Amino acid sequence: MTHRLTEQLGLTWLLKPAIPGYGLVKASPLYTAKSWGIGVPKECAMLLAPAGNLEAAKQAFQAGADAVYVGLSGWSRGGARGEFDRAQLRLCIELAHALGKKVQLAANIIPKPQERQQLLRQLAELADWGLHAVILNDVGFLREVRRKLPGLAITASIGCGALNTSDALFYQDLGATAVVLPGYVEPQEIAAVKAKASIQIEIMLRMVQEFIQLGKCWMPSYLNFAAAEQGYRSKRLGGSVKRGGVGSCFRICEQPWTLLKDGVEADRRLLPSRQISQVAELGAFLDAGVDVIKIQGRSLSAEMVGAIIRMYRSAADAWKRGQKSDQKADQNADQKTNGNRAALPAMWTVQGR
Amino acid sequence: MGAFELNTTISNLRNLRESDLSAYDAVYLGNIYCRIFEDNFLERLDDLEEGIALVKGQGLRAYVTSYAAPRNDVLPKVQKALETAAAAGADAIEVHNLGVLRMVHEQFPGMPAHVGGFANVYTDAGAEVLKEYGAVRFTPNYEISLDEVGAITSGVGMPAELVVHGKMPLGVSDYCFLLEYEQKWPEKCPTLCQKNLFLKQGDWAMRSVGKGVLSGKDVCMLEHLPALIAAGHTVFRIEAAYETPEYRLNIAKIYRAALERAAAGDWAEDESAWNTIREHTAVGLCNGFYFGRTGAEYVGKRPQPALAC
Repeated sequence: MTHRLTEQLGLTWLLKPAIPGYGLVKASPLYTAKSWGIGVPKECAMLLAPAGNLEAAKQAFQAGADAVYVGLSGWSRGGARGEFDRAQLRLCIELAHALGKKVQLAANIIPKPQERQQLLRQLAELADWGLHAVILNDVGFLREVRRKLPGLAITASIGCGALNTSDALFYQDLGATAVVLPGYVEPQEIAAVKAKASIQIEIMLRMVQEFIQLGKCWMPSYLNFAAAEQGYRSKRLGGSVKRGGVGSCFRICEQPWTLLKDGVEADRRLLPSRQISQVAELGAFLDAGVDVIKIQGRSLSAEMVGAIIRMYRSAADAWKRGQKSDQKADQNADQKTNGNRAALPAMWTVQGR
Repeated sequence: MGAFELNTTISNLRNLRESDLSAYDAVYLGNIYCRIFEDNFLERLDDLEEGIALVKGQGLRAYVTSYAAPRNDVLPKVQKALETAAAAGADAIEVHNLGVLRMVHEQFPGMPAHVGGFANVYTDAGAEVLKEYGAVRFTPNYEISLDEVGAITSGVGMPAELVVHGKMPLGVSDYCFLLEYEQKWPEKCPTLCQKNLFLKQGDWAMRSVGKGVLSGKDVCMLEHLPALIAAGHTVFRIEAAYETPEYRLNIAKIYRAALERAAAGDWAEDESAWNTIREHTAVGLCNGFYFGRTGAEYVGKRPQPALAC
């Protein structure tokens, strides 16, 4: 059964001699993390990688991720691309456990009232499978999951829009295990949060900072409301991506706009955005007490996930050994993973905040 | 409160003094997007104190809003604004950030909290949590429908505040790209964002206010007021933070009269009102997301005013 499913999913690497006898449910102790050359879990912050498919999860684990976060079909921002079905998710959890790693589920849409019980049942089952944590976006559902599934760790998604110490305390009150802050929050801000809050602080150190803050944008649905898809979760809401299913983001912020002043064309421009990657500053964030280092990008290729995680793993390990990182080398390595997106344009400042 | 409340937003003392508020029941004071908006009430606490007195002196309720996305360095200023609001007798605090809601709940337990549109109230479960933190009303996330709003209000027993006219918020940013134009244009911060600035692409338009983006079209629910009243809604907002005093007054007079007719069960449309609405509309009208459609669409009998921005 396991082999059939593995072949069906194109995961024949699980059956190759490199991991002879590897069992998905009962892994031989000979073929656990150590036999893959993967380090034991680190004492410093957890390194949390995105995985849009099983190959990406494998690459992330091999590169040194402590955990991956994945989407479950129909329940995560971003739609079908980059989501797992139940069988794939179970395989991923079993793989992670065999390696001493963890899996988190991004269930970061806002379920409609009539969907909450369905999602709760799914989460209960996934918790039984050994899911480590669920990433949620709605404060009401977050509290309901806390009450109904007390053993499941909960992360308040970056879409919740938390930015400050009081936000962290709010999600701590609700029973969240961790709260995600965006990667443009500075180390001293993290330290200030950690000084007052016991909730784990997760920071998305590699992310695209779009013009509008994550979780606070409904420009796409103002201009084009996605029609309900026929035959696929037709009861799903429309609107922005956080509404899931038919919610869509068509990168309205990355298209050219004409800026009119008093009705006259003043400029043609893109709204500002930038690729943030703080690997060169990782030590400062770890010094500040960050608990989880998160990398954005369930749509990234497996190879790219592996390359990024290796870079962050290396920097984190250097910090753990008390070594100063080579910031120039880190920045150069970082640039290679940025694709076509410019890194850190000088115009982006916090002035006027 | 009477049968309904009609309110609006004013960012600074100059705008407050220039505005005729006779058609309103309440005013939100402050600008939620930017700390350096011209003399923002939330930064000029003496002005805030005076503003609250001016509003209350006219027999209106004075609410104080708060920043949509404050980081740690802003919280001390938020704290001072809350203290000023409480001491000056503000009737409620509007909160868009849940951390600020927690601050109000912990430190000003008697102060009613109005949950703003950036707090992302999408469901009854979410509203229920915020109610436990002292929320007494909420602005639903702008992209949910009236049916969904109704499910929340009936399920939680908390009234919704609905934007019935004006440019609805579409997003908030950490960055003001208008600052890039200070060297090129005669206009400078902090009044630059109050200019008539639109982002256009084909027939799409959005209003830029620097650190925020608003709908290009004006939400207009005038012809749907009887349905809103019949559905039990009682709190209505004319979103006019970046509009002129003339807009603030003339639109409010139309809605005040229409709401009174709707509440009395004596509904009749005033044809002259539509000319006034057209005069104050740059790129047309829309219904937002109230009818489960694209936010820029208009659902109703009235044609779009074909005006250029």
